Amino acid sequence: MTDGALAAAPARRALATALPALGVALIWAFLALFLVYPLLRVFYDAFSDEAGRLTLANFTAFAGDAFYRRSLWNSLVLGAGTVAATSVLGFAIALLLVRYDFPGRGLFGYLTLIPIISPPLVGVLGFTFIMGKAGTVNILLEDWFGLAKPINFVYGVHGVLLVETLHLFPMITLNVVDALSKIDPSLEEAAESVGARGWRKLRTITLPLTTPGYVAGALLVFIWTFSDFATPLVLGVHDLLASQAYLNIVQFVDRRLFRMGLVISALMVALAVVFLVAARRYVAIKDYSSLSYSRVARRRLGPLGATAAVTFLSAVMAFSFIPYLGVALASVGKGWSMTPFPVRYTWLFFERVIVETPKYIVNSLLYSVLAVVICIVVGVPIAWILARTRLPGRDTLDGLNTLILAVPGTAIGIAYIRAFHVELPWLGVPLTSLWIILPIVLAVRRLPYTVRGSYASLLLVHRSMEEAAASVGATGVRSFRDVTLPLIWRGVLVGSLFSFMTSLQEASAVLFLSLGGWETIPVGIFAFYIAGSANEAAALGVILIAVATVSVLAINRIAGTRMGGMFG
Amino acid sequence: MTRRMMVLTLAALAAVAAASGAGAQAPIESELNLITPVSKFIHDAALKAFAEYAKEKWNVAVKVNAIPAGTPIAYGRIVEWKGKPEVDIFWGGESALFEKLADQKLLQKVEISRDAWESVPASIGKPKPIPLKDKEGYWIGTALEPYGLVYHPKKIQRLGIAEPREWDDLLNPKLRGEVAQCAPTRSSSSNATYEVILSMYGEDKGWEWLKKLAANTGHFTARSRDVPTVVAKGEYTAGFAVPSYMAFEEKLAGFDLKFVAPKNAFVTPEPMAILAGARNPKAARAFIEFLLTERGQKVFMERGLFPITPRYKVQGPLGSTAEMAVEFTGGVRSYFDREVSNVYDDAGAARRSEALKTKFRSDIEAVWKKP
Repeated sequence: MTDGALAAAPARRALATALPALGVALIWAFLALFLVYPLLRVFYDAFSDEAGRLTLANFTAFAGDAFYRRSLWNSLVLGAGTVAATSVLGFAIALLLVRYDFPGRGLFGYLTLIPIISPPLVGVLGFTFIMGKAGTVNILLEDWFGLAKPINFVYGVHGVLLVETLHLFPMITLNVVDALSKIDPSLEEAAESVGARGWRKLRTITLPLTTPGYVAGALLVFIWTFSDFATPLVLGVHDLLASQAYLNIVQFVDRRLFRMGLVISALMVALAVVFLVAARRYVAIKDYSSLSYSRVARRRLGPLGATAAVTFLSAVMAFSFIPYLGVALASVGKGWSMTPFPVRYTWLFFERVIVETPKYIVNSLLYSVLAVVICIVVGVPIAWILARTRLPGRDTLDGLNTLILAVPGTAIGIAYIRAFHVELPWLGVPLTSLWIILPIVLAVRRLPYTVRGSYASLLLVHRSMEEAAASVGATGVRSFRDVTLPLIWRGVLVGSLFSFMTSLQEASAVLFLSLGGWETIPVGIFAFYIAGSANEAAALGVILIAVATVSVLAINRIAGTRMGGMFG
Repeated sequence: MTRRMMVLTLAALAAVAAASGAGAQAPIESELNLITPVSKFIHDAALKAFAEYAKEKWNVAVKVNAIPAGTPIAYGRIVEWKGKPEVDIFWGGESALFEKLADQKLLQKVEISRDAWESVPASIGKPKPIPLKDKEGYWIGTALEPYGLVYHPKKIQRLGIAEPREWDDLLNPKLRGEVAQCAPTRSSSSNATYEVILSMYGEDKGWEWLKKLAANTGHFTARSRDVPTVVAKGEYTAGFAVPSYMAFEEKLAGFDLKFVAPKNAFVTPEPMAILAGARNPKAARAFIEFLLTERGQKVFMERGLFPITPRYKVQGPLGSTAEMAVEFTGGVRSYFDREVSNVYDDAGAARRSEALKTKFRSDIEAVWKKP
């Protein structure tokens, strides 16, 4: 051994301790800069006036306005209503899928996933094509049954409830399926041995054990509905908090209204935090500990039961496929009005969005891939810190990661506009003028999926394997590369794919930040819709649905029932 | 052209190319960005036509881009940019906003050729003249665009009523729940038409009228562009305060709908201005000059808009889109060969603007129930 090597050893050791510390510091810096600071900025804005003086006036103005109070109330009622409706549907479907066997069960398992991949705006557009006042259903009723005045299925709060329910029930289903699959069958056998069957068993054993998964799903349904502005806007409902936030923010001219939009955003963030804390107090939302999936014995349904199950599931699926049918028809139908189906067909709209303006697809893929890269670079180490270390601040890290899931995209987008419109010292332009802000905001929004996917599989890798590697002289990095990585890649991949798919679909945050030339597919859908070209919007929607379907099927193949864990 | 002339022309062209290549400044920058409430249908076509023109004239490949944004958003972003704009041009919306921007020193003067500037008359309409360009030279109109009403003929027929011709026809009780409009708080065309109604009937009667219209309204859309869309599809029967080209776009897309500009319908000049601190000022000026040429005006005339100058009229061969547009807008070829009645007053509208929006919020939006 030479002198040089001897001298290098302590240096290498110093480096080996310094590098991880630097990495951890960088991760904290990333979260502080791109998550904590923007959210704090929104709160500062909400509590200050144009001159920057701290004040409560904005909130008293909000509380003193009957229209805003009504909007807040309507949003809460709509959120609660959607949770109730999705719970009934989602729970029933989950029970059927996990506990019973009937023809087509596997197929229905796949089909249940489809509604959640419906991109924003597209679902509701498709719905109006079929169920609107001049939609297929009403026209058929008028032409065949002499209906005098079309029935209003969709325009109004009831329409928002309908669209959100059919879109979001899989969130409940997935989480409950996940929870149900983790229940140790011996618990239920024990219940049966002391005579608890049917409803009683369901009430005393099954429901309590699925509560954590269910609450996680319900929370997401609530926040999603609460913060969705696209659906109500298409359906002409403006007295909701999210609609008001959006409409007020895009009203730059009236600074008073603009500030009110900021106040509403702050309120949405605050409410999300409150709900999150409440939910976590009630149940430990993320129960990763029991990752052993039991083989559940399925009960075969008799002919009558099987028919009922298949009819019920088919009906639900048929309803939730309405948007896809509408979008598909609109993407190829020309001048479709007052007929049940389009009369003339064309590929023109696809040509326009693919050949003439490929930027939507190119940007979407570029930003989503970059976002996933950031997600992996930041998220996998976070998962590592959570699963493998006792570093101080782990709880905070975990809390931040969950908080991201709860903060509405609208609020994040608005927060970024306010936080990053300051000139960067050496570039001379604000971050909001650089397209890199889009992958960053996407990465922050979708980070939890990568973290969760990685965390879950890290827990499955027994520490002794890494210790064994260390005992034969492998360094931390080396044992990670040779031992841990091959064992956890599946979880990382599932999480990343999920981050990728949801990045592709992200509209709310990106919409506020996108500048000319940066348009992604969802922004394009919005732009076309706003420009009055619902057909091009539909064509882009079909493309996005196709990409998302492939991703979901891939995730499902790799992850199986574990997919539900992603949402919690 | 003789052979000799062609050779000479080619030689001249080569000389020009060599001159520009040899360090002389390029005639225009190779980029042009705008922010505009004018919809894609028009702004895409205008930018594309300009890019072709620039390629032919100066052999410059101009990278064109537009940020589509409603008038309030566009205005707000320009103010937020504080003189360091992301775009070169602001196009569309009410001219009062352009004057507000000029007051904040966020615009630069439109320095184009005298002939181009003079081709646009100072104003149009009686008793109140609508200015078509700025006296101080900070903005200039690009095309004339009436805000009228649209309707679905088949639905009108089903309801058993006559096709609407005047504003009052929208108050027909049979149209209850069948009218679509955009809130004046969100749309400049709606705001201007509310202003027309208030000027026409006076403050009190005007609001009575607007409340009756709200009672017939089945849908307040998020954007003015959605109004012709929901009517074209047949979701609603009639739409209020719709720019002519938006309706014509639906017609071109194959939908069956009709447009009419009732008496006193507001006509906007679609103002255009170059932002102070614009990165591509020469391209911006060239763009404006181009739009005022016959070739530029054609972009508008083939899309349901009208020339901003008496020099040209909407016309084309039989069956052309220009002729289709003439038929669609009720036989109008130019606004300069007819009496244009206007009651909209810029200064008055600017004074009333805040009160109008506040009153709309409290008296209509807050109490409106879907019929």
